Amino acid sequence: MTGESPVSRVAPLTIEGLTVAYGPNRAVDRLSLSVRPGEIYGLLGSNGAGKTSTIKSIVGLVRPLEGRIRVFDQDVAEHGLDAKRKIGYVPETSLLYDALTPREFLEFVASVRHLDAAVASQRCQSYVTAFRLEAEFEAPILTLSNGTRQKVLLIAALLHEPPLLVLDEPLNSLDPRSVRIMKELLVGYVARGHRGILFSTHTMEVAEQLCHRVGILDRGLLRAEGSLPALRAQVKSGDATLEDLFLQLTEEGEGVRAAVEALTGRR
Amino acid sequence: MSWREALRLSDVAFAELSLQAIYAFRQGNVAPGGSGPRIVARARRRVVQSKAIVSFVLALLALAAALALRAVRLRAVFFGATLPPAAFEAGVVTALLSLDVAFLWWTGMQVLPTFLSSGVLPVLEPLPIDDRTLERTAGLLYLRLFDLPALTVLVVTPIVLGLAAGPWVGLALVPGVVAAVAFSLGLSLLTGRFFVRRVQGSRGGGGRTLLRWVYLVLWLVPAFAMFAFVIVAPSFFTTLAVLAGAGPSTAAHLLLAAFPFTLAALPALVASGPSGLGLDPVGWETLAAATAGYLALAAWSLVWVFGSVRRIGLVPAGGMASGPGVRVALKPQRPVLSVLTKDLRVASRTPGFAFLVLLPVLDAVAIGLLTFARAPGGSAAFGIALAAVVTAALLATFFGPAFFAVEVFAYAYGRTLPLPDRSLLAGKVLLVAMLFLVAGGTVLGITLTRIFDPVLFVAFIAAELPAVVAASLLELGILFRRARSKGLPITNLYSGAWISFLVAIPGLVVAGLPLVAFDYALAGGLELGLLAMAAVALGELGIVAPLMLGRGDV
Repeated sequence: MTGESPVSRVAPLTIEGLTVAYGPNRAVDRLSLSVRPGEIYGLLGSNGAGKTSTIKSIVGLVRPLEGRIRVFDQDVAEHGLDAKRKIGYVPETSLLYDALTPREFLEFVASVRHLDAAVASQRCQSYVTAFRLEAEFEAPILTLSNGTRQKVLLIAALLHEPPLLVLDEPLNSLDPRSVRIMKELLVGYVARGHRGILFSTHTMEVAEQLCHRVGILDRGLLRAEGSLPALRAQVKSGDATLEDLFLQLTEEGEGVRAAVEALTGRR
Repeated sequence: MSWREALRLSDVAFAELSLQAIYAFRQGNVAPGGSGPRIVARARRRVVQSKAIVSFVLALLALAAALALRAVRLRAVFFGATLPPAAFEAGVVTALLSLDVAFLWWTGMQVLPTFLSSGVLPVLEPLPIDDRTLERTAGLLYLRLFDLPALTVLVVTPIVLGLAAGPWVGLALVPGVVAAVAFSLGLSLLTGRFFVRRVQGSRGGGGRTLLRWVYLVLWLVPAFAMFAFVIVAPSFFTTLAVLAGAGPSTAAHLLLAAFPFTLAALPALVASGPSGLGLDPVGWETLAAATAGYLALAAWSLVWVFGSVRRIGLVPAGGMASGPGVRVALKPQRPVLSVLTKDLRVASRTPGFAFLVLLPVLDAVAIGLLTFARAPGGSAAFGIALAAVVTAALLATFFGPAFFAVEVFAYAYGRTLPLPDRSLLAGKVLLVAMLFLVAGGTVLGITLTRIFDPVLFVAFIAAELPAVVAASLLELGILFRRARSKGLPITNLYSGAWISFLVAIPGLVVAGLPLVAFDYALAGGLELGLLAMAAVALGELGIVAPLMLGRGDV
């Protein structure tokens, strides 16, 4: 597999009625959304809104209570391996084999993904050079900084050029140079073929710059979904930033003001 | 701040450590069902259960030593009148203290990686806690890793031996057990520090990988003492008998100065009287000086442990990644082989895992060397060589379940890769089979000039191989299914070891049945024995393999 998977115009990702529960707590409640071909979809939400649970359900780390997830029309519950072949995943936390070096880890990933040695090396070389990772390439991952670990995870996700990228806070810990590279890379990535990206973030500016559409999750529920102009129209605020929209749609604007007043008043 | 504050902090930190050890949240695992306090309580309970297992084994060792001390007839059978009672008693206590040190040290090696990866100490570090309290907290936290096993050695062992040989004997054992515990804690931390600096942080590359394995072999040889002692015990007692018969000598004085014999001599002297060991004035002076020295060293060891845990707990997050840039070249393999390669690479930087990989091979070397004590070409030498292979097979099978443990490293990430469970399982089984073959090949290499027929020897290895594969398929298959259904990783000795022990039982039965068949059919000749063995082993593989691999994703 070289990563140039034949994909049609079907949606890279479709989620229908997804419910994730941990004991009595519902982390995600009847969530439905889709990532269209050529689209970067931003999943926004506060801490604990259900973003990571949604993403973990997509990549098979969490078994949903209800609902269906399809990756290029294949149900991940029935065709888990096929779905995983089409996904490049960056977790929220740096989940890596700490005892391996980046080269050893990426070699394992390339092996599992059946990548050709020349293709894998050439792609890896490009990313390693772009992220300036040469000096750390043979050091155990345990000894690397969070930012460097994040770069290794990004390379692992991109190595097989998957048609669907599922990125959970992918820009966390990255230096400004790498953030810029990633932003440019992601925009160019979906422009080629019919790829899709699901992107979770807390950072409204990043979402505003990158995402074609966003979904706003709040306590497991999808409060709003659409492009930035569509969301502005929804709240009848023509020049609102995504941050303003987020606070309005999650009804947290008042809470923020009250919290700030309480804090500054205390000072 | 006070010791009380350090105790309180260590309690909170230990809850976190237990949680990470059992559920490996930092490796990305998802919380199981139930409320937070209930999950924490469950994690604590499992850690206590695992400690209880280790403590139980240590108590059994004490019981075995107590029975040996009472078995005067046993001594007469093996040594006749040549081994005085005091020398025998000192020998038994030496064995007990050696095994206690080896077992506690090995336990430390197993739990230390979890202790480091849990990150509990770095969490405390930025808090406004003074240095002394932080040091005490780290020290107490470290002690809690060993608490039940250490208390078993410190309290249960003297009581059990006291009941068997008299209360004063038990009391005289106290310096020995205190030193054994102190040295074990110190050795665990010392080797842990070595591990962090030289093994865990070692960069990649062929030469360095080889060097890491050399380091690990050198490092694991002392930990191997637990097993090695069983092998060398007869020679040890024979040497004691020789030394006792020869009277005071330099060799006897050196033995008196060697730990743990020094402190084992104290209860022996109490039991048999001052003349029991036949010590001359130099012997008494040596014993007194060595006792004082070891007790001082034990005290210093405890002080050093308390002062050093905090530093070792702060695993270097960076700074070791220096050096020249490298040309990026990836060499992907077939998925099954890539699992094997990954595991060997992980083991080369993870001593607890390396121990399991090296144990069957080191054992084969140790038993293989015993053939040199027998006449070349004799059936006894051949029997010993076969025993080495049998032990390697059983050890590889017994520790096979632990090879699943490596999956806890990035366990969650691994589950997001399109790696069929069948490939993962096959990779692990390949590792077990490889260990068995390397161990068998090592014995063959060592004994090539000693045994009469290498072809028959190779046939023995080949006949057992299918059973080793079947046994590890069975064990690992059960563990994989359980992990998938429960979402639980099996991380180390303290996080669900009981399930590894349980699945090892059917595994050992599967690995052992062909050996039983060999033994029964041996009456009809060696060739018939081998045929029976191969038939049973292949039959087992024929049954187990479809069950474990036949349904696609396990």
